[in-house]
Amino acid sequence: MNTQPDATAAPDVRPVGIVGVGAAAPSLRLAAKEPAAAWGSGGGRGSVAVCDADEDTLTLAWRAATSAMEAAGVRAADVAGLWWGTSRPPFAEGPSHAFLSTALGCSAQVGGALCSGSPHAGMEALLGAWDAVASGHVALALVVCSDALLPGIGTAGEASTGAGALAVVLSGPGHNGAAAPARLVGRVTTAMAVVDRYRGDAEAATGDAYDGRLFREEVFLPLLARAGKALAKPAGWSVSDPDGKLGGALAKALGAPLVSTNAYAAVGDTGAAAALLGAGQALGQPGTLGIIGYGGGRATAVAVEVTRPVPGAENVAGALAGGQAVGYVAALRSRGQLVAQSDPIPMGVPPGSAAFVRGNLEMLALLGARCRACATVSTPPSIHPTCTGCGGSDLEIVSLARRGTVQTFVVNQTMPPPFQAPLPLVVVDLDDGARLMVQGTSADAAELAIGDTVVLGLRRYAVERGVPVYGYKAFRVAPATGDDAADSDVATMTSTRKVAP
Amino acid sequence: MSWNKVAVVGAGLIKMGELFDQSYEQMADGAYRAALANVDKGTPIIDAAIVATQRGSLWGQEGIGGNTVPSAIGLSGIPCTRVENACPSGSDAFRIGAMVVASGVHEVVLVIGVEKMRDKSTQEGLLARAAAGHPLYNRGETAPVLFAPFATRHMHEFGTTPEMLASVAVKNHHNGCLDPYAHFQSEITVEQVLASPLVCSPLRLLDCCPQTDGAAAVILTTAERAHEFTDKPVYVAGFGVATDHPYLHEKTTYVGLPATTAAAGRAYAMAGVGPNDIDMAEVHDCFTITEILDIEDLGFVEKGKGGPASLEGVTALDGRIPVNPSGGLLAKGHPIGATGIAQITECWWQLREEAGERQVAIGNGFALQHNVGGRGSGVSVVNILTRNR
Repeated sequence: MNTQPDATAAPDVRPVGIVGVGAAAPSLRLAAKEPAAAWGSGGGRGSVAVCDADEDTLTLAWRAATSAMEAAGVRAADVAGLWWGTSRPPFAEGPSHAFLSTALGCSAQVGGALCSGSPHAGMEALLGAWDAVASGHVALALVVCSDALLPGIGTAGEASTGAGALAVVLSGPGHNGAAAPARLVGRVTTAMAVVDRYRGDAEAATGDAYDGRLFREEVFLPLLARAGKALAKPAGWSVSDPDGKLGGALAKALGAPLVSTNAYAAVGDTGAAAALLGAGQALGQPGTLGIIGYGGGRATAVAVEVTRPVPGAENVAGALAGGQAVGYVAALRSRGQLVAQSDPIPMGVPPGSAAFVRGNLEMLALLGARCRACATVSTPPSIHPTCTGCGGSDLEIVSLARRGTVQTFVVNQTMPPPFQAPLPLVVVDLDDGARLMVQGTSADAAELAIGDTVVLGLRRYAVERGVPVYGYKAFRVAPATGDDAADSDVATMTSTRKVAP
Repeated sequence: MSWNKVAVVGAGLIKMGELFDQSYEQMADGAYRAALANVDKGTPIIDAAIVATQRGSLWGQEGIGGNTVPSAIGLSGIPCTRVENACPSGSDAFRIGAMVVASGVHEVVLVIGVEKMRDKSTQEGLLARAAAGHPLYNRGETAPVLFAPFATRHMHEFGTTPEMLASVAVKNHHNGCLDPYAHFQSEITVEQVLASPLVCSPLRLLDCCPQTDGAAAVILTTAERAHEFTDKPVYVAGFGVATDHPYLHEKTTYVGLPATTAAAGRAYAMAGVGPNDIDMAEVHDCFTITEILDIEDLGFVEKGKGGPASLEGVTALDGRIPVNPSGGLLAKGHPIGATGIAQITECWWQLREEAGERQVAIGNGFALQHNVGGRGSGVSVVNILTRNR
């Protein structure tokens, strides 16, 4: 069916290194049989990951990127470019990239791009970062692929589409004076102008526009097979798998096993994140790896050489595991597809106001004002033109620690929407001596105690007047007494959740 | 030596409650008439008024200063200023009224507190405030969140128990049964408190004061003119105000309220007395834990001993230091701007030994009134009254 000529072989490329990887999955899991039963269709196997009401593609991207930088041992301030691929940026038009880079602690001058428009966006982000690093313009790049898909109610997509994120840190030659543990060594992109799944401007949920059999036989398999065959044959494949069955057929055609099965089983199809997320665990195994991402009529195949485990790969499976099982109604509420018929109570300062602009900047970047005279850190800076310790005015703006202990707390049981009770509110003594009061999470409400260790993670506080509002919450990672078992604080943010039997 | 430059010659309040049938203006008029009716002799000509209303800017009195009240009570034309200083708005208006009289500018001053808490639904009123303040930090702070962290920490450090907290509510509800102006007039038990729903752990429903509409008024004049209106004047012996960093994460302690300690210190010094000289106190018990913190911070009991003292009856009507004989905020109610004035009214009755069944023993002749508020404890006001000239 394709009439566009292909390039005969993968072009010569300049390899770049992968020096760290991080993954994230949302808090909830929906068994595929739940929506199937609700619509009387029966059946359904496995489960998909669903965002809680305070999670979205941005909070997942933040967590995966934070984990990847931690694994790579790089500071956000040293990242020269941030490439973010997601089919569902939190603002369809708006400051998505700036919110993420600010929350990650990147410099205001950070380069990069937001890639969107289809699930192929993840591969476009990877290629964009690769080109920038290979050209020498960017020494250290952060690539984040994330998605929190919203399937149409009653569509087959409800049984297969999930949410998750994967981030990698790319580096040119000579990062840390050592060869990278893995390298991107080959790539090819191929296109076919077809409409498959799509979403119009006014539509909230993604629809299935295509005939399944037509898509499989005439679009997906030939297009992705052509892209894959243009690469030197790898030992395993991670591929986009929109319905959970196409990946197996493609791997068979390409003659090597799938490595993306585990990630798909854990979180479902994660759209723009899917192909890279499926490869995350395999970055810990020396060998060759092929990654094929598809979306919007484009397929990109990338070859990876892993010479030794990429730091962070060992945490990928753990980051995707667990999650709280919820029913269909709870999932619909969390996805915002089931909304109570009541007037929303206006909360807080309108996102368009100057007060919000001031407060949002210091919240996303998690800033404090440190007194040069007495070392007290007053938070947040906008309400503290002078030091809360000594009254002095010689203050410097600092980035706050993301970890601390519980000084005191409450669990609020009487909250109007958009808050969800039980809601802990926690006074945290941060490891750098600053103190904050932030929300905790319902999952921790029963066990929270004075002296517990908590870490701060980005969450979506609310959607106000249509605008998503973000801020940090405290996540319990260790009890007041006992050993500190957490390897990666960020990775444990969902693992403390109880999985319903 | 007490300050004693100003005297209270009339005081009164309306029955507190969910006054759905009364407007802000009607409540104000009721309180003013009640205070006038309680003047023993003569008719005070009000020279000026100070109005305390805290939530008016949210509850339908937007941008209106003190001018609503003189018009409502038939005194249009007099000088009138509105005071808003969080939960101590009423007690601070009283302090400011006393200073106005002492300045010699006005000789007879009406201090009136009026608050409509129930003209908006809880969802749109107090709960919608859970995102107030900084646009992003401290979200989720409903009123109990401002005090419950102190209970968590007080329990952790001193072994204070839920039963000790409950004993405060039980006592104040008992006292409320003896106060015809109280919002709640029913006895409760410790078991009932502990079985009531959790509102904001560790605080339960009966650990919390209600949302109450109400109004209260006092009439102040100079000590020299006091006997024109009464043979039993009550004098302003002293007062103190102190601020603290308002946000919860800025506190230096979570087992006490430094603003209360500092305000009390100033008031005691001005009145020339100490905590042991006080016969009774009306203190800020918006939550049970607050009264326990108060009686420690005001010096009535040692820090950390507020819980056991409450359980053992130290603060009961016949205890060593009776606290909140009116029923307190927990039973009488907390119409914010009116609360402090209503407390002053109770102290006035107690010092004049006109409090009926809830009358406590008056020995030294001193009563103390206290509020704390402003994101919980950003400001505290303490007024000390005496019948001694």
